[in-house]
Amino acid sequence: MDPDALAKAFVEHYYSTFDANRGGLASLYQDGSMLSFEGQKIQGSQNIVAKLTSLPFQQCQHSITTVDCQPSGVNGGMLVFVSGNLQLAGEQHALKFSQMFHLIPTPQGSYYVLNDIFRLNYA
Amino acid sequence: MDPDALAKAFVEHYYTTFDNNRAGLASLYQDGSMLTFEGEKIQGAPNIVSKLTSLPFNQCHHSITTVDSQPSPATNGMLVFVSGNLQLASEQHALRFSQMFHLLPTPQGSYYVLNDIFRLNYA
Repeated sequence: MDPDALAKAFVEHYYSTFDANRGGLASLYQDGSMLSFEGQKIQGSQNIVAKLTSLPFQQCQHSITTVDCQPSGVNGGMLVFVSGNLQLAGEQHALKFSQMFHLIPTPQGSYYVLNDIFRLNYA
Repeated sequence: MDPDALAKAFVEHYYTTFDNNRAGLASLYQDGSMLTFEGEKIQGAPNIVSKLTSLPFNQCHHSITTVDSQPSPATNGMLVFVSGNLQLASEQHALRFSQMFHLLPTPQGSYYVLNDIFRLNYA
C-alpha cells in the first residue's frame, strides 16, 4: 500500500477509535510506547490509555485538516504529522491541535504507535 | 547530556541558523534527509537548502513556544516536536507553525536531521 494512503488510513482509524471507543486505543500501543500530552510524559500502553480515558470530557470529535508522512529510516517505520480540530461536546468553539506519531510495523502486518506527541495550538 | 536539554539546544541552533544564515542549514541535513514543507516533499541536503533559501522572504525570526522530545529506540534517534511563531520582516502579524524533526546521531557526536515536517497553523 502506498505510504501516504497507509498514513491516512491509520489516522482515520486512530481518531475514529478515539472518538467512539477510547479504551480501544490500547491495541495501538505497546509497553515501550511513549506519549507526551501537552507536555506530560507517559509511558506504556496501560498508562497511556489510562491518561486518554481520564481526560475531562466524555464526547469529542476530531476532524483532520492535514496529514504528512515520511519513512523514519529503519525497518518500515513511519512518521505521521497531523493537524486538525477537536470539538468537545458542550464547547462552542473547536480546539486546534497538532500531533505526531512514529508508527512501527507489527509482525501481523499492521502498525503500533511507538512515539506520540500531542499539542493544542492556541490562537 | 539530558535528552530534553539536547532537544532544546538543537532547536535553538536550528532556528538561529535559519534566521541568520539560512544556507548554513546544509550541515544539518544529509543525502537521505527528507523535508515536507507545507505538503511539498523534498529530498537531500542540497534540494532542501535550495528550497529553504528560496522561500519568498529575506528576513524572518522564529520564536519557540513549546519543545517536546522523545527518544526513538527503533532508530537510536530523537524526535523533536516544536510549535512557535514566525515573524516575517514585511508582515504585521506573526505566522504560527508546528514542526517535527527526527534527529540521528553523527559519528562526530552531534545530530543531523533525517526527517523534517513543517506546517503553518492557520487560525
